[in-house]
Amino acid sequence: MDDIDAMFSDLLGEMDLLTQSLGVETLPPEPPSSSSKENNFSMGFADMNVESLNELEENDLDALMADLMADLNDTEEKLAAELGGQKEAEAPHPDLPPASHGLSFYPESSLSTPTSPERGPNTFSAPLADSPAPILSPPTLPQHAKLSMEEIEAQMKADKIKLALEKLKEAKVKKLVVKVVMHDGSSKTLMVDERQTVRDVLDNLFEKTHCDCNVDWSLSETNPELQLERGFEDHENLVDPLSAWTRDSENKVLFQERPDKYEVFKNPQNFYLWKKDKKTIKDMKDRDKELLVEENFCGTSIIVPDLEGVLYLREDGKKSWKQRLFLLRASGIYYVPKGKSKTSRDLVCFVQFDNVNVYYGKEFKNKYKAPTDFCFVLKHPQIQKESQYIKYLCCDDAWTMNLWVTGIRIAKYGKSLYENYKTSMKKAAITTAWTNRTAGTTSIPSTPSPTTKAKASGQANGHAPQPPAEPVAKVGNAPPPPPPMLPTQILPPPPPDPVLPPPPPPQATKKSPPATSVPRQLPSLPTSFPPLPTSMANLPPPPPSLSQDDSSESPPDFLPPPPPTLGFGPGAGSLPPPPPVSFLPPPPPDPGFPLPPPPPDPAFCPVTNRDSLPAPPPRQSNIGAGAPPPPPPPPSASAGLQSTPSVRRTGPPPPKRTTPPLAAPGGGDFMSELAKAMAKKRGNQ
Amino acid sequence: MAAWDLSVTVEELGPEAPPLKVSVTSDLHIGGVILKIVEKTQIKKDWSDHALWWEQKQQWLLRPSWTLEKYEIHADARLSLTPQHKPLRLGLPNGTTLRLQACFSRPVFQTVMGVCHLLNLRHPEELSLLRPMEVKKKKKDKEAEEEVVYDLTGLRTSSGPAHTLSNGMPMHFADSLQTEAVYKMLSVSLPAPAPETITKMPRPTSLMDKAQVHSRWLDSSRSLLQQGVQEHDRLLLRFKYYCFHDLDPKYDAVRLTQLYEQARWAILLEDVDCTEEEMMLFAALQYHIGKVSLSEPQPMTSCPAMDDLDSALQCLEVKMEAEESITADMLETMTVAPELQDYLKIFRPKRLTLKGYKQFWFAFNNTSISYYKSKEESLKEPIQQMNLKGCEVAPDVSVAGQKFCIRLLIPGAEGMNEVYLRCENELQYSRWMAACRLASKGKTLADSSFSSEVQNIQSFLAMQRTNPGANIAQTDDSINTYSLVSPRYHKKYKAKQLTPRILEAYQNVAQLPLTDALLRFLQIWQGLPDFGVSYFVVRFKGCRKDEVLGVTNNRLIRIDLSIGDVVKTWRYNTMRQWNVNWDIQQMAIEFNGNVNIAFSCVTATCKIVHEYIGGYIFMATRTKEQAEVLNQELFFKLTGGHEAI
Repeated sequence: MDDIDAMFSDLLGEMDLLTQSLGVETLPPEPPSSSSKENNFSMGFADMNVESLNELEENDLDALMADLMADLNDTEEKLAAELGGQKEAEAPHPDLPPASHGLSFYPESSLSTPTSPERGPNTFSAPLADSPAPILSPPTLPQHAKLSMEEIEAQMKADKIKLALEKLKEAKVKKLVVKVVMHDGSSKTLMVDERQTVRDVLDNLFEKTHCDCNVDWSLSETNPELQLERGFEDHENLVDPLSAWTRDSENKVLFQERPDKYEVFKNPQNFYLWKKDKKTIKDMKDRDKELLVEENFCGTSIIVPDLEGVLYLREDGKKSWKQRLFLLRASGIYYVPKGKSKTSRDLVCFVQFDNVNVYYGKEFKNKYKAPTDFCFVLKHPQIQKESQYIKYLCCDDAWTMNLWVTGIRIAKYGKSLYENYKTSMKKAAITTAWTNRTAGTTSIPSTPSPTTKAKASGQANGHAPQPPAEPVAKVGNAPPPPPPMLPTQILPPPPPDPVLPPPPPPQATKKSPPATSVPRQLPSLPTSFPPLPTSMANLPPPPPSLSQDDSSESPPDFLPPPPPTLGFGPGAGSLPPPPPVSFLPPPPPDPGFPLPPPPPDPAFCPVTNRDSLPAPPPRQSNIGAGAPPPPPPPPSASAGLQSTPSVRRTGPPPPKRTTPPLAAPGGGDFMSELAKAMAKKRGNQ
Repeated sequence: MAAWDLSVTVEELGPEAPPLKVSVTSDLHIGGVILKIVEKTQIKKDWSDHALWWEQKQQWLLRPSWTLEKYEIHADARLSLTPQHKPLRLGLPNGTTLRLQACFSRPVFQTVMGVCHLLNLRHPEELSLLRPMEVKKKKKDKEAEEEVVYDLTGLRTSSGPAHTLSNGMPMHFADSLQTEAVYKMLSVSLPAPAPETITKMPRPTSLMDKAQVHSRWLDSSRSLLQQGVQEHDRLLLRFKYYCFHDLDPKYDAVRLTQLYEQARWAILLEDVDCTEEEMMLFAALQYHIGKVSLSEPQPMTSCPAMDDLDSALQCLEVKMEAEESITADMLETMTVAPELQDYLKIFRPKRLTLKGYKQFWFAFNNTSISYYKSKEESLKEPIQQMNLKGCEVAPDVSVAGQKFCIRLLIPGAEGMNEVYLRCENELQYSRWMAACRLASKGKTLADSSFSSEVQNIQSFLAMQRTNPGANIAQTDDSINTYSLVSPRYHKKYKAKQLTPRILEAYQNVAQLPLTDALLRFLQIWQGLPDFGVSYFVVRFKGCRKDEVLGVTNNRLIRIDLSIGDVVKTWRYNTMRQWNVNWDIQQMAIEFNGNVNIAFSCVTATCKIVHEYIGGYIFMATRTKEQAEVLNQELFFKLTGGHEAI
């Protein structure tokens, strides 16, 4: 252990040196990601209050060390990059500005946004601020050279102050070393800083575990003393709840699949129509489910399921459980006092959700003599031991318990829950694509080519020597695959790509494995791409799939997608596994989301399609049918290749929706039926 | 063709004047008739708005090219030439009355569109006109006449989209100071009403009462005159369909305000039931909105339209300043939070001992309170330090009794610790209270909201001082809490008992900007279980007793009239068709899975129920993209019906 400590302090020293050199020369301040890493070193271990270093297992330490080393490399590299960039900026007439260092740096700015919104845009210093520009049109770069020396100096001074302040701020950021218990019982150790959300940590874990990244994966905490368990919500900060743990706590953080996490979005009818008979609920059509989600989560206000039912309440202090009629409202849980009606005005507030979280109770039958084992608990997150302030409730069955816990979560978190779900879906879609790609061999190697192609169009020499894509994942660790470059030049680039004026969105960029860039890791950028570059490099790129990929790589933002891909569409569709198709999904970071339907692999996550599709003009087709135009085919159809596979999923809904009303006698739809009836009436008179 | 005399009354000739006789033939078209009449009157004026109204048939003759024959008009017909637009008194959701020119000849749907265009209310399809409740006692007539009427009859709008000024006010309101004042009245929520006003207003006490309201909607597909509405009559403009499409504070100043007013009155008059906790939150929001509206002259300054060069420039300036001040900001946030220190008394109700309050030296640091034996010892280790992050803060105050306590429920691993802090006076209390509030949310004293929080608390304390009986409207910092809650709570609580309850709810909303507060109010309103249900008493086919049909934006609800329990719900998206039998006034609806229901309407006409359901289905067909174009044809298709006779 001593050795390790020594190693750490060495590392720390080295980092300090680096920092100092940065400070002295005051090159453009490094992006916060790197500076935050530094502080990880200085703070992380000082602040470790979850587990002491000594308790870490050997392999945990190894993992941590690897992380740290990577961070160190990262910083060094960045420093080098910045030096390069700076030189460049100072050069009076850089004819060929995008020198390797500078260029390798740019993409990061574009990269940082899509997957890690919480990071915010990296704050680049002035010389690098317009980083994306050089990629497109090199001549814009020299702009900085025009600045007078004084201005530069002033700028540098300001930057210096900024940097110093940022560092000070950074130093205040709290970090925890967290041991996460995996689903198989093993554990992984992570460093989590207080600004990271559960989503970030999940992304981090996806990267580390190569799991399938479906939406059910979640982090949860267990409290063995109280026998409680709660899944963290994706938008929560992880450090906050963990800070409430006591020193001697046996609480654990689990990384596991929890189907209850987003069940409400997959089967909203279970929660919103719980009063209906089971058959109706079970036979619910996908389109109707969508509608339910839309109704309850997309309006001006979130609608909380109107739960009511008799639950058992554990009496304060006593060991008995008493039955009461409880009602859930957006403002809290209420109960009906004895002898009163359940009209709103008579309800008594049992609990409001501002200060409590909802937990599942485990084996309360034994522990508290509960009537059943289906218990849930409401308590302030800080309470860790038995207390009169904990409220214990017991349900008749698991279904009811799930209903209530989910209902409470909706009431408490509202829209965030839905946002989280959408984010998870996007994540899952991207990752599915990846998994598919690596599994479905054929299309894999071709991926990089389109990207480079697109790049090439923007670059002066068309050589694309420096794939601007910075490996977000640890992709860079693998030997750079040279072959992909060749096909690019051999194949005539498909027309649409070069026409596109703006640079391809980061998503596309990200995917191309780095050709020459030094292995670099941006650990702070959460990403879902499992590092599987090796396999990619080994596979020869079959030309046809290449073009398929091309279409898939085409930035989702720019619809319609390139026409030529259409030709390849059928081919793609006929491929046994649906990889190329499912590869399409990378949905644009956020704003574009509702526009292009991410066509994820149906086989992998059937829900994706359903929920992410822009809802076709909804009800009118159903009821007022006829009068409003029939729902147009989902826009995905326009996306040439995409359509083939996604038709399977997206195609059916519209007809399904329209058929019932059409089924009305006479084949007329509802409206015309009505009109007919009216005409008849008129005729009679 | 033989000529015959047609008698036409022309209002312009005076009420006593005999009808004009014009000689016409049956193949003369309406335009020609009007021309003849105008010539005969020899009055020179703009007649373009005039049209012929056929008294006996209750019908407008609006097609100038149709002949008298086609309209089946003979010598016995008595027509009158009258303007299509007449002044109408319009009660708004906020309780004020406007006098404005409304169209009496087109279907009410279009009349409402015109009115909404004038008032700058988007999405007129969500509103409609309601006949006011008939005033039973003659005493009240006097009061009704006393009400202030804002005159907008002179206001004319240009066709096409309304041009708005930078503050969101449409151009046509900028004519005079008077109209500008009216616009302000429309777009800023009114001060809280006096408690008496609330108690005097009729309140629905049962489902039956609530159902009665809906019997008064005007028919959207017929004109005002056809429905017996006369010039200068009073009608109420209300949001009828509870699905508010594309609500955007930037363009919807009037809409948002009127919607809030309608919601507020729905809450105050117990039109929508809510729990006590919810009522307190509504009260807090009303108080807050009232307060912010007063201090913010331009209601929507938070999102100015950028079409104004000045504001654009200003914005630019601000941006540039902001960039410069980044460093300053950073420095600021880095600095240590200012400290709050004083002698206070503390009391911990523990283990049933009655120790009482003890004095210590207290210091606030970040989000923690530490206390020491005395000021001198404050450099040493504190006796105890309490981190208030995530704690519950409640006031325990009586201004009259000079008792200023703060009740803290501080979470710890073992449970919640109850602590009382006693302050000496209002000022000390408000500072410590504000600090505790901020700390409970994880903010420190350095937070910019500290001083405003202190002020909020002080103004709330001032509420306690005011005489609860005094009938004063809301002024800057005094308000009667009875103005914020429904009469039920007037009976249940004394005004000063309400203050701490409202204050408690207020702490969660005190920092909201006006628009957010309005939206929050609407959100909570929309989140109520009974929100947006329009009730009708109906009789289902085969049933012998009256039941209630609730119509909402996505479902129909069958409700037991006596108990109020939901018997069954049917969602629109499982609906296959519906039919109206106008002869027996019965509606028949078919749902998926061979579910058929049929009912006749008791409290309202069948047409109103039919229009409500059809209207909601129409509302559901709106999408964001086509937001600007209103598909009137579809609306009439879905809601119209028996006019086509």
